[in-house]
Amino acid sequence: MISHIISLLASEDPTQTHSWILPEQAEIIYGGLASVIVVGALVKFAGPMIKKSFAARTERIQKELDDAAAAKVTAEGDAQNIRKALGDIASERARILAEADAQAASVLAEGRVRITAEIAELEAKAEADINAARGRGSDELRNEITVLASRATPLVVAATLNDQVHKDLVESFISKVGAGK
Amino acid sequence: MSSAKVKAYAQALFAIAQAEGAADAISNELYAVARAYESSDELRNVLGDATIPSERRLQVVEQLLGARANRATVQIVSMIVASGQVRELPAVFDEVIALSSAGNDQDLAEVRSAVALTEDQQSRLAAALSKATGKAVNLKVVVDPSVIGGLVATVGDKVIDDTVRTRLDNLKTRI
Repeated sequence: MISHIISLLASEDPTQTHSWILPEQAEIIYGGLASVIVVGALVKFAGPMIKKSFAARTERIQKELDDAAAAKVTAEGDAQNIRKALGDIASERARILAEADAQAASVLAEGRVRITAEIAELEAKAEADINAARGRGSDELRNEITVLASRATPLVVAATLNDQVHKDLVESFISKVGAGK
Repeated sequence: MSSAKVKAYAQALFAIAQAEGAADAISNELYAVARAYESSDELRNVLGDATIPSERRLQVVEQLLGARANRATVQIVSMIVASGQVRELPAVFDEVIALSSAGNDQDLAEVRSAVALTEDQQSRLAAALSKATGKAVNLKVVVDPSVIGGLVATVGDKVIDDTVRTRLDNLKTRI
């Protein structure tokens, strides 16, 4: 057979073909056989590996899908919790605001009372200070008058002492001292 | 200057005055100088100013007393000024007049008056003070306008005050 094939090949002109598009008959036969062999080898040897790879991939994808589903469930749970927490926060916020309002109202009321008392106290103190200052002013004026009077008196008295008065004073002194013993 | 030092100075000066044979006159002049020193700010400033040369201060003493006072008086005052003890001058000279009075068996009676006293007033006043203290007094009258009127007499530790100034002070205290 081989010799037949060789003779066929030798008898053909390699530069000439019988069809411009189809290969030679022998090439179809040999190519077809080779393809069958290659495909068969692939099916026999690579098929299990590919199948196994596909199975692993399928399993991995399935696992990812399962994980995603589980994550979705978890996220939904978290979302639920967050929504609940938000609800709690809102109610807590409302409670705190209400409490703050109540405290502010209380502080305001207390502050009003205290400020009113302080104003009354300040008014009373100011009135007392004014009265004290008035008294001090009178005292200071009285003292000032006393000081001025005490300064002016010697000058006035000295101006009114004439020679006769001086003489009388001297004579009075001599008389008193002389009569002393 | 301590009291003992003042007395020591006074005794030394009084001894000089006695040696000059005019103890009373010199003592009286020293007393007058002391009063003039007390009453004159200008005199105190000039005699007490250490920045003024000593010669200039002694010249002032000479000009003030040279023609009016005993020579010994001028020398005593000059000595006090030159020694830098001029601030003690009144105390020392008061002690001198006290020694002089004691030497005559008298108490020094310093009388301050707003006006000058006549001779008659002074003699009657001296008699009255002698009668009051029981001892002869060496009367020294100081004209002091600050008393305003009346008299204040100091005899030893005794003070007899009948001045207008004191009456006004009492009145001020009561007010």
